[in-house]
Amino acid sequence: MLSDSEAAELLSFLSPGMRADVKAQATEYFLGLSGHRDGCRFLRSKPDILAGLFALTSDISIAIVKDCYFIFINLSADETLHQVLVGDVKVLPGLLKNLIDPEFMFSDQICTILSNLTRHEKTCKTVFKVIQEEVGLAQVVEIFCTEGYNKNAKLHYLGPLLSNLTQLPEARNYILDKDRCVVQRLLSFTQFQASVVRRGGVIGTLRNCCFDHAHHEWLLSDAVDILPFLLLPLAGPEELTEEENDGLPVDLQYLPEDKKREEDPDIRKMLLETLLLLTATKAGRQTLKDKNVYPIMREFHNWEKDIHVTAACEKLVQVLIGDEPEEGMENLMELEIPEDVEEKLKVADAKEEQELEKEQERLRQEEEEEKKKKSDAEGTDKEQEDGLVR
Amino acid sequence: MTPVCHSLYKIYKQHNNPSNLYFDPKMASSGAQYESDDGMDEFMDKFKTQRYKNAFPEEGWEEPLKRLTPKKYPELACLQAIIHDEDRPPEEQAKSLKDEGNEYFKEKNYQKAILSYTAGLKKKCGDQELDTVLLTNRAAAHFYLGNMRSALNDAAAAKKIKPDHLKALIRGAQCCIELRIFAEAMQWCDEGLKAHPTDKKLLELRAAADKHKRAAERDARKVKAKEKKLHGQKETLLAAIQDRGIKLLQSVKPPRRGSDSEDEDKGSSAAISQLSLDDLSSQEVTGAQVFLDEQGSLHWPVLFLYPEHQQSDFISAFCENTS
Repeated sequence: MLSDSEAAELLSFLSPGMRADVKAQATEYFLGLSGHRDGCRFLRSKPDILAGLFALTSDISIAIVKDCYFIFINLSADETLHQVLVGDVKVLPGLLKNLIDPEFMFSDQICTILSNLTRHEKTCKTVFKVIQEEVGLAQVVEIFCTEGYNKNAKLHYLGPLLSNLTQLPEARNYILDKDRCVVQRLLSFTQFQASVVRRGGVIGTLRNCCFDHAHHEWLLSDAVDILPFLLLPLAGPEELTEEENDGLPVDLQYLPEDKKREEDPDIRKMLLETLLLLTATKAGRQTLKDKNVYPIMREFHNWEKDIHVTAACEKLVQVLIGDEPEEGMENLMELEIPEDVEEKLKVADAKEEQELEKEQERLRQEEEEEKKKKSDAEGTDKEQEDGLVR
Repeated sequence: MTPVCHSLYKIYKQHNNPSNLYFDPKMASSGAQYESDDGMDEFMDKFKTQRYKNAFPEEGWEEPLKRLTPKKYPELACLQAIIHDEDRPPEEQAKSLKDEGNEYFKEKNYQKAILSYTAGLKKKCGDQELDTVLLTNRAAAHFYLGNMRSALNDAAAAKKIKPDHLKALIRGAQCCIELRIFAEAMQWCDEGLKAHPTDKKLLELRAAADKHKRAAERDARKVKAKEKKLHGQKETLLAAIQDRGIKLLQSVKPPRRGSDSEDEDKGSSAAISQLSLDDLSSQEVTGAQVFLDEQGSLHWPVLFLYPEHQQSDFISAFCENTS
């Protein structure tokens, strides 16, 4: 890596008063460095260089600013740098200030950085704290939900940011505040076609929020009505019987012939997990049964090809059509599981995962063989043709 | 007493009350004032038992009231001058008119309230707070009269002056819901919640508007689905008729373009679009029509004519397979 004197020299090239071409060359160099792990680790030990680079995000040359933002995106992707970025360089206040500026050109890059910084709990807590101090989570949600807030940026990565933040109970409590309208504003984005990042972020947020079963009743009530928004991406154009149709939530009735299901299997799996979470309480189970979730799942099961997603679907269906648990065990989240049972369950889970992997491998191999057979066949055809020509 | 009488009486009392001197301090000591006070009370008490002979009719009071002009009745001119003294600053005048409107509003006399508020706004007093209240109150009066569009316009005008005025925001949302423009209702609620994030009424209205909006969307989908089904049935029927090589007589169709023609232009093949099922439906009360049954056989309404016997026979559903 660089020697101390070389590092010091490069640092001097970053000072704002330097000539533009010198600054540009230096930032380009650091951008290259940040592109791989050793470079990042090196920079971790040089907080003054990082501070210099961060200062250049206010430079008048857009090219330099852009490079600097990409450097920080790379750096924030490495978990070991989070502490120095947030603690020593103190990037957060500056980033947040620019985020709420509707004219700012690099807001998408800011969102990506913030999303990276919130992946792990420790830094996530710090980020949440600073957000509350500087701009308030309310404003972040507002910006996210306002279409066209920033004409230079799409702000889709605020989705994963919110999803990451909701790993903290404080953030969940804010989103699920009954006296405000926060979670309701996120619901329509479960079908936002234009961005899988935004869609996934919102659904991840909802999934995290459903871990608190105390809120389930409110979430399923008319005040929020979360259920249709979770089911719509999983529902298809198949026609159901009149009886099944009448029991469905309003949004799922008379879906057009061209209705498409969610394309991303990971998102489909998240939706099913969220629904499964909502079956934890007796009231939740009853609501899902009453609203005819089962027929939707039945059609979905017929359509789904991915085995991991199918497994998640089957788990949900089991709860929907299975018997009610005995008294005292009705809230599945509040059960006390004895240690030996827990061990057995862990082993069973691991085994299931293994079997799914095997199944997936088998299917893959089958596909390969099919492909091979096809190309072999085509090869022989070609030989015959060639033979004829000769 | 009507509000106008009441306010006139109040002013009369005020001007004649010794402790509330306005005009001439000297009059305070004159005993005559006390007498005329009592006289007024007695005079007014009469109306509790006696019916006023020259009262305006309950229905159609507008006409006689119009004839009660200041020109013909100088007393009225005096009184009006006192209340609506043009020398008073416009804010004061507007405020009196607002109070007057509010009085009418309390009595549920929304038409008169609207007139007062309108007059208050005409003063253009420059007090934005007051104008916002006048507009919001007028919106409320229109709302209770069922004039949703006017109410919405007034609420919007109030919102323009003061974008965070809670009552205007609530009223606007309510009007949109009544007008069934639910997406706009939600916009009003969202704007309101930006300034007042915890207002219960706004939260309630938003949830209601959302529910209605989604129900309306479902209804639209239902209609479309039924139309499509019906159209599909018609197409299969026409195809079955065409398959059998039956030509349908095309009557000279009047230039009206009913939904039939539109659907057919969109989806059907050119051949089918030349046929029309309208001509096949009977003009009879029975309303018998050609239909295709589950086994794929056509049933026709048939009219038998027996000219020799001067008789006719009508069979509403003659299956094509019967001999």
